[in-house]
Amino acid sequence: MAIGVKVLKRPVAQTSYLRATLKGMALTLSHLLRPKVTMQYPEEKSSTDWTISPRWRGTHRMLTDEQGRAKCVACGLCPQICPANCIKLVPGEDEEGNRYPLIYEIDEFRCIFCGYCQEVCPEEAIHVGVHYENSECSRDRFVYDLERLCAQTHPVSTLWDPSDPSGE
Amino acid sequence: MPDPNGLVNLTIDGAPVSVPKGTLVIEAAKQAGILVPHYCYHPGLPVAGVCRMCLVEIEKAPKLQIACATPVTDGMVVHTQSRQARDGRMGVLELLLINHPLDCPICDQAGECELQDFTFQEGRPATRYSPAYAKRFNPVEDFGPDVLFVPNRCILCTRCVRFMEDVAQEPVLNVSERGDRAYIGIHPDARLDHPWAGNVVDLCPVGSLLSKDFLHKARAWELDKTASICTGCSQGCNITLDTRDDVVVRIRPRPNLAVNRYFICDHGRMNYRWMNRGDRSEAPLVRQPDGTARAVDWDEALERAAAILRGAGGAAVALISPRVSTEALFLARELLASFEWTGAYQLVMGEEAPLAGVPDLALRAERAPNARGADLLGYGPDYAAALRAAEQAAVVLVLDDPQAAVRPAGALIYLGTVPPEDGSDPGADGTLRSAELVLPIANVAEEEGTFVNRDGRVQRYVQAKPAPGMAQPAWWVLGALGARLGRGTAPASAAEVFDRLAASVPAFAGLSYANLGLGGRVIGADAGVPA
Repeated sequence: MAIGVKVLKRPVAQTSYLRATLKGMALTLSHLLRPKVTMQYPEEKSSTDWTISPRWRGTHRMLTDEQGRAKCVACGLCPQICPANCIKLVPGEDEEGNRYPLIYEIDEFRCIFCGYCQEVCPEEAIHVGVHYENSECSRDRFVYDLERLCAQTHPVSTLWDPSDPSGE
Repeated sequence: MPDPNGLVNLTIDGAPVSVPKGTLVIEAAKQAGILVPHYCYHPGLPVAGVCRMCLVEIEKAPKLQIACATPVTDGMVVHTQSRQARDGRMGVLELLLINHPLDCPICDQAGECELQDFTFQEGRPATRYSPAYAKRFNPVEDFGPDVLFVPNRCILCTRCVRFMEDVAQEPVLNVSERGDRAYIGIHPDARLDHPWAGNVVDLCPVGSLLSKDFLHKARAWELDKTASICTGCSQGCNITLDTRDDVVVRIRPRPNLAVNRYFICDHGRMNYRWMNRGDRSEAPLVRQPDGTARAVDWDEALERAAAILRGAGGAAVALISPRVSTEALFLARELLASFEWTGAYQLVMGEEAPLAGVPDLALRAERAPNARGADLLGYGPDYAAALRAAEQAAVVLVLDDPQAAVRPAGALIYLGTVPPEDGSDPGADGTLRSAELVLPIANVAEEEGTFVNRDGRVQRYVQAKPAPGMAQPAWWVLGALGARLGRGTAPASAAEVFDRLAASVPAFAGLSYANLGLGGRVIGADAGVPA
């Protein structure tokens, strides 16, 4: 041997992998017997112990009145407060002289989901939703128009605790 | 101790103020930088003292006094922010809000509403009326061609009533009924169609009187406000151009006590749609040998124009619009100085409509803002003679007069905000449409400049929005053209053109943008030069 290598002799109990392997297998097998925590999303959702917070701020929803019209009166506060500038609003006037939104569009890609629009709305019309499933096949589908905002059915966010509005 | 200058000394919120005898406490407070909340008081209207909003505490007075109807006295000590005064005003606001609908989201006045502002400033944080209380309700009324009355929002300050009675002197409005049933009534056979009636909309501190033209068009906080001068007539009223996304949506009066006080007429108020025209000249057009026009860049267009002016000699005629700035008129004159030149403008005449309660204020018959400026710079009103002279002239310069029916023998250069409108076929022989050059220029909302009103007051206006396409201010085009002809450097700004104008035209001597300010100055009045 050109290079001297010192070979140590160790007891079998130390050199055998059998013990460690068995310990590992025992741990793995013990998991088989434990209750399952995996949720089969999307086939299975909203299991009782897995709900999202009522203060979740997801994609928007416009509430409607009894006649099914948007509650929005096009006051212009939400485009004004919006820090991401994602709301487009063009006001119009209907036959009875009431203000209503001729165009109301929210670019959900641009939105940062701060919830200011809901907070500022004096008519409680626009809301952020407790909702997170937003996949679409094209980008332009993420600009929600008024019809689409009104057609949403998901619950709306509770931005603050009604019994403690100032968070004390 | 009486002041030797006839001034009265008093103290407002600890600040010493000296004002002439007879000044009202509310005006004296303004001098101390304190705005006492008020509704019925307006400096342009007689004092009524009905809203009770401007309550202040005056030492040695038994009760709170209204600042708008109390003249100052020597040694008076006024507290506008004392506990008593604030409580008094808070009580008044609470009563004003009893019947006021909280429809700010749909109210056009929101954002510029004095009821909103003062409630926010010193009103009660919450109402003490139960939601079950049925507020007074009256339906919306149509008062006149441009005025809508929403009685529910009215706080009965009676500014509109006093405007129609004392300023317009056509008393068609009154306070009908009494007590809590009171509302602003209009004479059953009358309409609010006085030529100055639109001012009631501006005067209304709340959203009770609304302009139909502006209704639901924009929110107050979306507007950009630019100081400008009305182009409707030769009165030269000071206005504010309200723009939203580079579109002029409203014209409002800008106070200038020497010209229009606080008012503008309805003609001026509606005179803004043309500023937003979509069919504007956007690129310089050069006539090709085959008669067609080709869009080119400014370099080529100016070179072509310079070549025309260099090669021509003899007579030149300028046909100008009296809506063009003094700066552009001056540079056009300089450009043609080497010719035997004549210049004329066409003045559209209309009916004169005075505002009875204000001396020297009227919608003038001459419906153009700068005819006086054109006169001072050597242009004349004899348009027909100039048109005849143009037929023989070597060069005809048409400055924003799109309807000029001119048939020149020589070259025709047209600077215009809009394409020629003389109605003939493009390329037809000898009309404005066959101009050698069509150069796009900015309109009054898109450039800086000055107008000279009928009293010789030089007043500035400021750019409110960008010009479309390649259009440039007329002073830029004419200045760059002059530089190409070897007459000095091209001016860098309208202010520089005005300085050159002041240096070379005696009537304007001593004036500059800096000393004109936004109130303007009357030529000759300060410089000692006869106007």
